[in-house]
Amino acid sequence: MNPLDLTLGVMTAVGGFVDISELVFAAQAGSTFGYALIWVFAFSTIGIMVFGEMSGRVAAVAKQPVFNLMRHRLGLKLGLVTLFASLISNLITCAAEVGGVALILHLLTGAPYLLMAVVTIAALIASIWVLPFKWIERVYGLLGLLMLVFAAGLIAIHPPWDQIAGGFVPQVPAGLSTKQMLTYAYFGVAILSAVMFPYEVYFYSSGGIEEEWGSKDLVTNRVTCIVGFALGSLLALAILSSSAQLFAKANVDPQLPGTAALQAAIPFGRTGLLLALLGMIFAVSGAAVETCLANAYSIAQFFGWEWGRHKKPWEAPRFTLAWIILFLLALAIVFTGVDVMKLVEFAVLFSVLVLPLTYLPLMLLAGDKTFMREHSNGPFAKTLGWAYFVVIVLAALAAIPLFLITSGGQG
Amino acid sequence: MKPTDRLKLVSELLDLPLLDKDKRYCGIVDDVEFSGGAAKALAIKALLVGPGAYEGRLPAWAFWLVVKLAGKRIARVPIGEIESISSAVHLKCPAEDIGLHRVEDRVRGWIPRKGAM
Repeated sequence: MNPLDLTLGVMTAVGGFVDISELVFAAQAGSTFGYALIWVFAFSTIGIMVFGEMSGRVAAVAKQPVFNLMRHRLGLKLGLVTLFASLISNLITCAAEVGGVALILHLLTGAPYLLMAVVTIAALIASIWVLPFKWIERVYGLLGLLMLVFAAGLIAIHPPWDQIAGGFVPQVPAGLSTKQMLTYAYFGVAILSAVMFPYEVYFYSSGGIEEEWGSKDLVTNRVTCIVGFALGSLLALAILSSSAQLFAKANVDPQLPGTAALQAAIPFGRTGLLLALLGMIFAVSGAAVETCLANAYSIAQFFGWEWGRHKKPWEAPRFTLAWIILFLLALAIVFTGVDVMKLVEFAVLFSVLVLPLTYLPLMLLAGDKTFMREHSNGPFAKTLGWAYFVVIVLAALAAIPLFLITSGGQG
Repeated sequence: MKPTDRLKLVSELLDLPLLDKDKRYCGIVDDVEFSGGAAKALAIKALLVGPGAYEGRLPAWAFWLVVKLAGKRIARVPIGEIESISSAVHLKCPAEDIGLHRVEDRVRGWIPRKGAM
């Protein structure tokens, strides 16, 4: 297997994990609860690996992306509900990513935030227009790996590895008040949502079709999911752990993405800060590309339009128009002046509500022998899939009450 | 599966994507038209494609909204133009021959043909 074959997974995972919501929630989780939420990241990572693998397998075997078959499976009415819910969720997420990149560029250059938002959208549209799909993956996925400076930063500050290892054990920290307990639960739900964002599977399965996957690519799919998502998770955990080590003790609440970049600046100085900010720009831009394309894929697949960035923009004209309009809508949301951090909260909240609608039909499709033949879900995938589905439903039910009670995790 | 085989309309045909002879997506099976009638044998006459075919499948208010947004056009795909049915309906002819891809072709005129690798 060519290592470059993994770039789809790397982009999906780095853009999926280390997007703007991860930067905020991982850093805040570490500063507020130390290492006690590491297990939620690990648990959610296995969940996205399970569903990501299913979505790639459906694309490789049925030769159709998930949303095409989802409409067939759910029917027009429920399919439309799923489509609109995921469109809204992905659009808010995309706006949050665009706002996040603009904020980082504003920190780097000092130029006005809204001007940077326009520059971001122009650069994203130009890159998708000019670059073929493979290169979109490679540019955002591989340059997003500059975020590895966070992992190096964690090693450099000599964290308590035994406490980090202890964080992998499911736990509720002792001595929390009821209010703190609810905030802990809110962070747990938010991390699950942010790690398992629905756009990741839509983008990943459509990417499999873009790359013309077939049954021979099932191993690539599995390896890509495991390596890619594990890598993304590693970066998120490095941010959480550094935050626990550096910010918790100093009583710093890292509410802005720029604060997370200090984790690389403290051990490596200016170079570390620059690498962290550049890595964040590419990783968060990758997430913006993923969310926008995931929406355009979903619309085009639901209505049977020509789609795909392996085609020239004019060969899939309605798809092209869709992703351009979606980027402009995201920019319009940023221009309303809504705070990026509020957008992040809404994105995470809305996504957790959409998760059951995304993952139930996916699981049914991956288990459908008509399409999947001998590659349908086995007992292991079925058990894991249903177990995670139950957790997702519980998280969706708890999300709004927890958000309201804790004022969005502010306690 | 061939179109002449026995098939379950809802689980094996409705809402499947259509791919034309050149493997281009050209719509979804939005509804099915039958020939025959009372006391006569029913047979599929054509597949209906387009937002107009949502009538009866959506609540009245939702269909009204669809018509306002996307119009009421319907294209008919004669059953004889179907090559096979699997996870998609594969057609024997190019989309344009049976009235599909019209909106796609209209929008194509708005997209500049330069700059892309």
